[in-house]
Amino acid sequence: MAPRGVILATTLLALNGCDGATSTLQTAGPAARVIADLWWAMLVGAVLIFMLVMALVVLAFVRRSPDVAADERGQVRVWIIALGLAFPMVVLAVLLGFGLVIGERLLPRDDVTVVQVSAQGQRWVWTFSYADAPGRVTEDILHIPAGQPVDVSITTADVIHSFWVPRLAGKLDAIPGRSNVLRIEADAPGDYQGLSAEFSGENYADFGFTVRAHDAAGWADFIAGETE
Amino acid sequence: MKDLVRILIAPLVWLAAFSAVYGLHGVICGFAVDGTVFGLSLARVLLVTAYVLAILVQVVLLWALYQDRFSSASVFVNFVGRASGWVGVIAAVWTMLPAVLTTYCG
Amino acid sequence: MNVVTRHRRLDAIWASERGFRGWFSTVNHTDLGRMFLVTSFFFFIIGGILAMLIRAQLATPDSAFAGPDIYNQIFTMHGTIMMFLFAIPAFEGLAIYLLPKILGTRDLAFPRLTAYGYWCYVFGGSMLLVAMLLGIAPDSGWFMYTPLSNAIYSPGINTDFWLIGITFVEISAIAAAAEICVSILKFRAPGMTLAKMPIFAWYALVTALMILTGFPPLILGSILLEVERAFGFPFFQVELGGDSLLWQHLFWLFGHPEVYIIFLPAAGIVSTVLPVMCRTTLIGYGWIVAAIVALAFLSFGLWVHHMFTTGIPHMGLAFFSAASTLVAVPTAVQLFAWIGTMWKGRPELHLPMLHIMGFFATFVIGGLTGVMVAMVPFNWQVHDTAFITAHLHYVLFGGFVFPVFAGIYYWLPHVSGRKRFFRLGEFAFWLIFVGFHVTFFAMHWVGLLGQRRRIDTYTPEDGWTLINLISSVGSFVLSIGIAMVLLDVILHVLSSRKIRRNPWQAGTLDWAMMTPPPSYNFASLPHVDSRHPLADNPALPVRLAQGHGYLGTPRADWRETLMVDAATGRPEAHVIYPANTRLPILMSAVTGIFFLGLLLKTYWMVPIGMVGVAGLALRWVWMLGRRDDLGAQHVGQGVILPHASATDRSPGWWGSLFLMFANATLFGCLLFGFAFLWTVAPGWPPLVRFEPSFIELGVGVAAALGTALALRVAMAAVRNARATLPALGIALTGAVVFGACCAVMLWRAPPPVDHAYAATLFVLGSYGLFHAVLIVLMTGHLIARVWQGYTSPARRSEFAVVSLWGDYVAVIGSLVLLVGHLSGLSL
Ligand code: HEM
Ligand SMILES: [Cu+2]
Ligand SMILES: [Cu+2]
Repeated sequence: MAPRGVILATTLLALNGCDGATSTLQTAGPAARVIADLWWAMLVGAVLIFMLVMALVVLAFVRRSPDVAADERGQVRVWIIALGLAFPMVVLAVLLGFGLVIGERLLPRDDVTVVQVSAQGQRWVWTFSYADAPGRVTEDILHIPAGQPVDVSITTADVIHSFWVPRLAGKLDAIPGRSNVLRIEADAPGDYQGLSAEFSGENYADFGFTVRAHDAAGWADFIAGETE
Repeated sequence: MKDLVRILIAPLVWLAAFSAVYGLHGVICGFAVDGTVFGLSLARVLLVTAYVLAILVQVVLLWALYQDRFSSASVFVNFVGRASGWVGVIAAVWTMLPAVLTTYCG
Repeated sequence: MNVVTRHRRLDAIWASERGFRGWFSTVNHTDLGRMFLVTSFFFFIIGGILAMLIRAQLATPDSAFAGPDIYNQIFTMHGTIMMFLFAIPAFEGLAIYLLPKILGTRDLAFPRLTAYGYWCYVFGGSMLLVAMLLGIAPDSGWFMYTPLSNAIYSPGINTDFWLIGITFVEISAIAAAAEICVSILKFRAPGMTLAKMPIFAWYALVTALMILTGFPPLILGSILLEVERAFGFPFFQVELGGDSLLWQHLFWLFGHPEVYIIFLPAAGIVSTVLPVMCRTTLIGYGWIVAAIVALAFLSFGLWVHHMFTTGIPHMGLAFFSAASTLVAVPTAVQLFAWIGTMWKGRPELHLPMLHIMGFFATFVIGGLTGVMVAMVPFNWQVHDTAFITAHLHYVLFGGFVFPVFAGIYYWLPHVSGRKRFFRLGEFAFWLIFVGFHVTFFAMHWVGLLGQRRRIDTYTPEDGWTLINLISSVGSFVLSIGIAMVLLDVILHVLSSRKIRRNPWQAGTLDWAMMTPPPSYNFASLPHVDSRHPLADNPALPVRLAQGHGYLGTPRADWRETLMVDAATGRPEAHVIYPANTRLPILMSAVTGIFFLGLLLKTYWMVPIGMVGVAGLALRWVWMLGRRDDLGAQHVGQGVILPHASATDRSPGWWGSLFLMFANATLFGCLLFGFAFLWTVAPGWPPLVRFEPSFIELGVGVAAALGTALALRVAMAAVRNARATLPALGIALTGAVVFGACCAVMLWRAPPPVDHAYAATLFVLGSYGLFHAVLIVLMTGHLIARVWQGYTSPARRSEFAVVSLWGDYVAVIGSLVLLVGHLSGLSL
């Protein structure tokens, strides 16, 4: 998207010598990808607006010529109506439109075939179960097929937690008494780091899990109970 | 005090309408309201009606704020009152627009 | 009378007691404003030290500096102190110090209430400090989400310190807010219409109104959570019909407006200081007032954006996402009005202006990231990460601390009457500015890389090490800068070069007095007919000192001032303030006994505290009475005014009105909570309901309405010098009967520990009962007044106050009984 930003990102990552296992910008799934695109677009817009504002501020000091509009009405027209009202409203309307459309796209809909899994958070372990393999339960590792949308139904056995796999999608909370459904999808087989992202007390810092995406054969094996 | 009311009324009504529409949406999803009218889903019809009503109320308020009958003796209060009347209209149109656009219970 | 004699006479009337004993008995707004500010900066330093500990812990991976138990207390207390014990009190302090001066009058509306608020703040804040010193400070994060903060998952006393200490402090915020509203609307210089108010007064007025609407949801939430923790009423426990999301709604219904409550006064400082620094006037005054009003209202429609990841349906989120973008517009209006003002004038880079520039650069970034996190999908990624920590500090530090530093350097000469001597401030500014951005800019990035907020440690493999180290280094530069500002201020106060009058050439009335300000502010009150009275008439201070304004002749030992019409500023009544007293500190200490009893679960202390507060409150109002009519008074300029107690709209009436406004918000939130649980919470409808009784309902509602009616009759009677006791007797009986109906409801309702339904009903009934007792006490007070000969048509204002409360109780009382009984009907 934004070349400058990408360069900055890669240098920072290189400086850290890390693989970005939890980076929202090293995307590995469609949901994370659209959100990252949204971020880059917003970053470019924000940088431009920031520079505009700062330029106006600096010009106020260095300017030699008399003011653009000498009377109060002219000043109001330029500064308040044009810059204060019209300008932000146009920008925000466009942005809001994008935000709502993307939000709609990320909702779990039933128009495609999805794999159903459940995730239950409890201090400090995640327990996963699978609609395709009843009775099958895993702890701190969630198995999913790659390249296929997966609906995770998220619950908690105690306090509020949040299910988050930064490289795949946004996060969704586990609220007592409720079950929330988050759609995730991994482009390719591999392990993705998951985090619990709502403060839960003592061992919160280490509270995470792994999402293991399998290729078709691997998933079939898992369903059949042949992988542990 | 009346002058203060002139200034505060429009956004106050917006806040009430906004909360009411959000509440309506909560009730619709909480009780899983379904059914259809004129081939449209009942939930959508209710939400859009509430949206249109909210805008209408704001427009009427704005109109009233421009009437001499309800005006203040102070030019300044009239200016601020009308400006916040516009705030009410814009806020109603803008913030409740999702009633028309987005999925309601998903 | 010459200038010096007048000064001596007035000072003798208005001054606080000398020495440190004066601290405990002063009711003077200049003293209390300074005390508020100093105390809030004391807490700022504590909060800052905690921030340093956070950054020390996070500087390196696998840090063993503090374990999670301590670290969780540290960040919770950092957030709590900064929000509740620094930012809000700093606003209160500034408003208390400045408002009467900038409005051209002598004190705030309720001097003793100012002092009471201050002591509640000190005592409540001390509770939290004690908890911290004992290592049992709150540790569930500054928003205290349940169930983590409930008795099961936080069994210790830590959370109770938060709930009770913060509620105690909140009393001071509510008191100050009600007082600020009344002061701005009713205690201005004569002639100052709404359009001629200094812009800061608009900011303060709107902020105060927001406090009155914004804090009650939190107070209610804290009460409910504390009752759940102490007695097991399951408001937030899902197994018994409660819902943890109710807490989130109540908290953020407060929490989001809170951010604007912090930002608006700071923006008020910018709107006041920036034009002076540019040798011009603010452009678009009316537009800015409209923008502030819009901002205030919009900010109450945003709270769900803190709950985007809780699984609320997308349309619900979209409403709040839309509202959150729209709120940026009034902010933009102000921003560009400021920049336009700079273009209009000739900006000069004095130290306050430097901090305003720091504010621009920082706050604009915070605003832009704010719009980003208002986008629902982006929020799903960055919620609860360091990106949010970065955003919130750009907004809070950028939007509050920089403007406050600008304000400090602008008004410091006013407070001290001295010139800055050393040039430390400029250097300090650059350390703060650079240090701040080094600390927080990269935190956006590390948040995008997946670092969550509130983690006590991370591993080298996470790849966040370098950024965190840089951030921690920056934070130490920042803290050195802040330490230098404090040093600069202390040196300033010690330096000896006096300033000339009005050093910045400002146009507002705060500079139309001696500096440091005398205890009475103005020797006589100005008549204002422009927004910049001092710029129009530079000789004004001398004229006022010579007594050419209103109330230029001190009489008896009266602390005299004027009350004006809210819109036009026409003088309306003559007011005599109470003098120095230790009653406020005593009353807040007794209030403290009440809270301490709750905290330590020594419940025998609670009724002692309650009775004590009620007794002192009665003494408080009793002191204001007189046994003879004062008659109309000459107030100067040929104006003759009645005393405020000869009107139906006394300061007490106005104060009650605004308190009632906050009270009604609390009640509204309670009804909202009930409706929310009923419609949204799992585990409803409840199995056991309250057995409705239409007799109790009818009798109760009739009694509540009858009380209000009888009080109105009493008010008419006193005005016409007729006997009031019969009507007061009826009112008293009505209040007792209404209270009995509430009590019967409490008695007959199902056990409140069984289900959130019964628990909520219990709170509703208690709310009604509490107000019944209130009316009984108030009516009893009136009866005693009549008995002792304290009332007459010219001393009647207390009747109007009690009648106003009677009306309020009629409304909420009927609602309480209606909701209670109707909720028992099964359809
Ligand atoms: C003096 C410079 C400051 C520094 C270096 C600083 C640093 C920090 C850091 C590092 C955190 C994040 C802890 C974490 O969750 O990982 C934090 C949290 C927070 N800070 Fe500050 N801060 C400063 C000033 C302020 C100010 C002025 C305010 C408000 C007026 C403030 C309000 C907060 C709040 C509300 C939190 C969230 C606490 C929580 O998560 O419960 N901070 N601060
Ligand atoms: Cu917010
Ligand atoms: Cu924000």
